[in-house]
Amino acid sequence: MTATVKLLGIRHHGPGSARSVVRALDALQPTAVLVELPADCEAALAWVGDQHLVPPVALLGYVVDDPQRAAFLPFAEFSPEWQAFTWAQQHEVVVRAIDLPMRHTLAWSGGDNDELGLTMAVADPLAALAEAAGDPDPERWWDDVIEHRGDGAPAFDSVAEAMTAVRGGRTPSTRREAQREAHMRQVLRRAIADGHERIAVVCGAWHVPALAEPLPAAAVDTRTLRDLPRVKVGLCWVPWTHRRLAATTGYGAGVRSPGWYAHVFEHPGDLGVTRWFVGAARLLRERGISASPDDLIAATRAATTLAALRNRPRPGLAEVLDAADTVMAGATGMSLIERELIVGDAIGEVPDNAPQVPLARDLAAQQRKVRLKPAATAQTVELDVRAPNGRARSVLLHRLRALGVYWGWVEEGRGSSGTFRETWRLLWEPELTITVIELSAHGTTVQAAATHRLLERAASVEALADLVAVLDMALLADLADVVEPVVARVEAQAAHDPDVVQVIDTLGPLARALRYGDVRGTDASALRAVLDGLVVRVVAGVVMACRSLDDAAAAAMVERLAGVQAALALVDHPARRAEWPAVLTIVAERGDVHGLVQGRATRLLHDGGAWNRALVGARLSRALSVGTAPAAGAAFVEGFLAGSGTVLVHDAELLDVVDGWVASLAPDAFIATVPLLRRTFGAFEPGERRQLGLLIANQGAPTWSGFGSDLDAERAAAALATVRQLLGVAVI
Amino acid sequence: MSPPSAPHPVLRPHAEHEFAHELAALAASDHRERPPSWRLSPWAVVAYVLGGMLPDGTVISPKYVGQRRLIEIAVATLATDRALLLLGVPGTAKTWVSEHLAAAISGDSTLLVQGTAGTAEENLRYGWNYARLLAEGPSEAALVPSPVYRAMRAGSIVRVEELTRMPSDVQDALVTVLSEKTLPVPELASEIQAVPGFNLIATANDRDRGINDLSAALRRRFNTVVLPLPADPDEEVAIVQRRVSEMGVALRLPKVPAADEEIRRVVTVFRELRGGATEDGRVSLKVPSGSLSTAEAISVVTNGLALAAHFGDGQLNAADIAAGIVGAVVKDPVHDTVAWREYLEAVVRDRAGWGDFYEACREL
Repeated sequence: MTATVKLLGIRHHGPGSARSVVRALDALQPTAVLVELPADCEAALAWVGDQHLVPPVALLGYVVDDPQRAAFLPFAEFSPEWQAFTWAQQHEVVVRAIDLPMRHTLAWSGGDNDELGLTMAVADPLAALAEAAGDPDPERWWDDVIEHRGDGAPAFDSVAEAMTAVRGGRTPSTRREAQREAHMRQVLRRAIADGHERIAVVCGAWHVPALAEPLPAAAVDTRTLRDLPRVKVGLCWVPWTHRRLAATTGYGAGVRSPGWYAHVFEHPGDLGVTRWFVGAARLLRERGISASPDDLIAATRAATTLAALRNRPRPGLAEVLDAADTVMAGATGMSLIERELIVGDAIGEVPDNAPQVPLARDLAAQQRKVRLKPAATAQTVELDVRAPNGRARSVLLHRLRALGVYWGWVEEGRGSSGTFRETWRLLWEPELTITVIELSAHGTTVQAAATHRLLERAASVEALADLVAVLDMALLADLADVVEPVVARVEAQAAHDPDVVQVIDTLGPLARALRYGDVRGTDASALRAVLDGLVVRVVAGVVMACRSLDDAAAAAMVERLAGVQAALALVDHPARRAEWPAVLTIVAERGDVHGLVQGRATRLLHDGGAWNRALVGARLSRALSVGTAPAAGAAFVEGFLAGSGTVLVHDAELLDVVDGWVASLAPDAFIATVPLLRRTFGAFEPGERRQLGLLIANQGAPTWSGFGSDLDAERAAAALATVRQLLGVAVI
Repeated sequence: MSPPSAPHPVLRPHAEHEFAHELAALAASDHRERPPSWRLSPWAVVAYVLGGMLPDGTVISPKYVGQRRLIEIAVATLATDRALLLLGVPGTAKTWVSEHLAAAISGDSTLLVQGTAGTAEENLRYGWNYARLLAEGPSEAALVPSPVYRAMRAGSIVRVEELTRMPSDVQDALVTVLSEKTLPVPELASEIQAVPGFNLIATANDRDRGINDLSAALRRRFNTVVLPLPADPDEEVAIVQRRVSEMGVALRLPKVPAADEEIRRVVTVFRELRGGATEDGRVSLKVPSGSLSTAEAISVVTNGLALAAHFGDGQLNAADIAAGIVGAVVKDPVHDTVAWREYLEAVVRDRAGWGDFYEACREL
């Protein structure tokens, strides 16, 4: 008895191929369906037909001892393989996976974690065929002749013939490909031997000639497949999305436009284009962009005319996009269409009882390593991040937060990397387990996944403040691979941001990152270059930013000026001695700058040693002389003193200037200024106020220093203990 | 009817005269289907604009250097019943493309309405010969047809330049023409109905100030094609060079060797500031508010040539172009000044061989 073997050469994720496969299977009614899929995935096919397994989904194969080495095999509704599985399941027909098992393919070292070369060697023969047909674009040519043919007669025989011609009897070019095809033939022989009468083989068009009758002698293939390396492989279904199917997001799934393919799969034939425009118009209208029925007519007409002009049988993606662009959308609309319709946001679903993913496994391992158990009841944990385990725990918790697994929250907002103590509130909700599975596509370990997720997030935010937040998170979570690209984005964004204030706010975190070296493995010089660039921008723009501010904005600005000075000092930046004092001088001298800002600029020049006492005294006295309005003078004093009177205590000359000014105020002006002065001086320490009072009363130098005679021994001892711990001196 | 050749030398011949031999060769070898009243098929029109070689060996010079798909979309649009709107900043060859499309499709690029703030409805519809109107009363003979009117009668392409510079109410006079393809003449109780082949190409500038945005009703009658700035620096340098030498001749400027280096410098500065990053992608920059188009680069260089010829040493050098560049970049005194200063300090200062330019800009 001879078996009928029908070879169905397809393109992976080709919507036209998918429809053709179903029609061919209906016609043939095979007793066995052989699919190009790693043989050890066969077990997972048992889940097909489960109502909770909804494409797009992916089969995830990973090396059990090293989950980083993994391969995803994504399937969409329009994947021919998926249609073959579904058909076989509905008709209760045996499915055999015929490709080389993952236990061999994953055993090859060398980071080859693409999807097992599913797209391998397809582009080349297509190019050869397209060239023969006179079309420079192989993808487009294949779409025209195969994928967009709607429900016309399946063209499998022509495809097989064409591929045979292209391969021209050549043997596979790589050893791995030879092994794969040998394995496919072996399974095919076994299926024939098992007595199946009608066999359908769904495989990449490229492989069709290798499986065609007559098959070569089995002994050759047995020899090819002897002694292959092997590893233990785990397997599970994971939910997938159209976005991840799109080639742009990694895993080389090779589908540029899953949303469009899904549409072509669902609506073959001539009405498909119009239907697509209807969908596009609805989408645009939802977002408040007008799209009239008249536009739909014009767009359909434009797409058809363009297709004719380009010698295509019917409008493809390029024509549809061009027509939509020119007729109705404009730039915002097109990016919307690109995102929602061409890529699409379909999300798959997998059954709850499916096996565990490597990310969850890695998380469990990490939790054991740092001795932190997930518990469904809330608990509070104090971490000392100077101790190794404390640091490891903190890093893990921060990484999970970066990943989007909110197991813990830092209490009291002590989030900066300068502090050494963190208080966490932990609560493991059962939903988090599902979250981990959902996040598994970001990576197979917590570190890799958190890195990927943060990079994604950095790519999606625009505002400088958000980027700095990501940067801060990356530093806390010790994700060196995130720091560098995010720092680059910060630089780019700082250039576009017209608001220098935002740039100033980034200096602090960057300087901290540079100084405290929390960025292991990051090129410190790159970080430094970015900081240098930002300093240039700040220096160029800060004068403008200080102009014409109201009281609230000025109050925020003085803190920023102080922040810049602190950041420059932290990394001992050269601008600290030349450019920065120069612009501060301009700020301090300009007429249109708020008094508060002028005062603080003067103070910073004083603190930085750029201005000597005589200069500072002169500026202070100018601000407090008759030419200046009393309110502006008071603001200047407030800015200059910066919340502390110490500078006056130690500098009798400056004190004289202030004192003289207060004394010189006319009664009306004095009454107007008192509230401002009270606000300034009221913020001082009681000890400082007393000292100042004494100094002014005695008109003499202080005879003692410190905080007065009423020292509380008990409180002082507590402070002393902290100081000792900070300095690393033994507590007495 | 063959295109009438220009009777005597003119400063600037129309496209259909200048390229009459190309159009004739295309028409001879073009056997594809032509839309009603078209002198060439859509394929031949695309070939005319983008250039190429015909089977009989005639070389078609490229009229537009850029993306093929844009011209395809434009031609496909004109073959449907929607009008074509070419959008782009100055210097993106909008007028150039529209002239050649009209020449290739209708063999006549002279049906043209120039949009200005003073364009009135008569310029789009029809006016009256008042002497006749008073003497004979309203009649067809007293009516002065506009280019749009004539194009509708002849079934050809009419061009409207700078559509958005017209007052909005004048723009809207086109709505009936484009949607109903008729032009009512209430004074004569009649109407003009467009002959097949009639269509309209409008150009508009989407970045300049002082424009009147299209009403939604009018916008719906147009398919829009946005013409981008040249993608490649060498291409842009070549465009500037060609136009500058042409203008130098036309304006009778004393001969100054147009230094390639300075032209490249101007183009580089414009491209970098326009794109918000240096060409090597290492430094990102603030984008000034001006359009910084190729056309402006051309005028900066021409300006510099005039300076060098009349007041300089006869050589185009950095100082001659510096003033022009600053003037072109700094349009908004606050934001653009910051952008320009950042660019000077962060990019120009350290670039090898740009020291003279840096100094010249600093001195301004």
